[in-house]
Amino acid sequence: MEKKPQWLKAPYNRAAVEEVAALMKDLKLNTVCNEANCPNLGECFRKHTATFMILGANCTRNCRFCNIHCGAPEPVDPEEPRHLAEAAKKLGLRHVVVTSVTRDDLPDGGAAHFAAVIRALHEICPGATVEVLIPDLKLNTHALDTVLDARPDVLNHNVETVKELYAAVRPQAIYARSLAVLAYCKKRNPDILVKTGFMVGLGETDEQIDTLMDDILATGCDILTIGQYLRPSPEHAPLMRYVTPEEFDAYKKRALEKGFKYCASTPLVRSSYRAAEAISAARGEQA
Amino acid sequence: MKVELKMPRLRPEMKKGVLCAWLKDEGDTFEPGEAIYEIETDKVVNQIEAEHAGRITKLLAEEGDELEPGAVLAEIEE
Repeated sequence: MEKKPQWLKAPYNRAAVEEVAALMKDLKLNTVCNEANCPNLGECFRKHTATFMILGANCTRNCRFCNIHCGAPEPVDPEEPRHLAEAAKKLGLRHVVVTSVTRDDLPDGGAAHFAAVIRALHEICPGATVEVLIPDLKLNTHALDTVLDARPDVLNHNVETVKELYAAVRPQAIYARSLAVLAYCKKRNPDILVKTGFMVGLGETDEQIDTLMDDILATGCDILTIGQYLRPSPEHAPLMRYVTPEEFDAYKKRALEKGFKYCASTPLVRSSYRAAEAISAARGEQA
Repeated sequence: MKVELKMPRLRPEMKKGVLCAWLKDEGDTFEPGEAIYEIETDKVVNQIEAEHAGRITKLLAEEGDELEPGAVLAEIEE
């Protein structure tokens, strides 16, 4: 096993992990924490936070960085929105993050299901803020409208990497389309915080990162997350390098200087990691 | 009560993990939530926290050992 740099350390508490995992199993729910083998799972489950993954456990895309299983999509569970909201209530979540597998097989990409989840959360967990991390929905504006009309507090769509690496890392996605999703959502609902994130360590250059930040900022995006790419298995895209914590600090400084309202940038940042802090900080700066 | 401290299965598909560091020595006590040792997995180093208060009586695995889940790492008293 390849030796990890000393800064890539994460706490793990077995009892807490098993407690949250059992709740998810009882309610037939998936978490991206589990499916994506997230390095922060131990810390987040100990704090009773989790990121729900809706619309099944099988993804219709095969991104080269991602651990989610690519396979035949499952039937959409109409009970999932209620079960998810009940789980969020049991966990006492004040900020709920919901993502999904990509469902290119569904006419609306799963937008109506996302909207049902958001509405269930507003009803069953009043007072909790809701963040959705959506696929690109093929830039179907009717589908995006469906999600936005359900009134999430944060609309997140990850660009994942620089333009030059899309073919190698996100072969079924399009750089300009992902940017257009962010721009459309911000323009249609300026009061909804728009968020995105990308990974480093895949071979991108500093100049490419600079251009990526500029392109994202031009969409009106409010919140940016930057984290280290961690290769899930030898079959996934190669890890080119571990980026140091000091370099992550420099990325954050650059992002804030450019004008992002909030930027989380450390090696173990994932798009939903400490998401509640991001929303309050971005709102505070908006006020 | 004497208990065996065993290599945890951090992921359902985990076959082996590397014990990369002991954070406690024989005779040391620990509290719930305190990290006792570190395991290297595919993505990161996990710092494994104690579930109960206790004391390490005997270390049985050495730093660098690659072990299957369930392998005994140490004897402890809880």
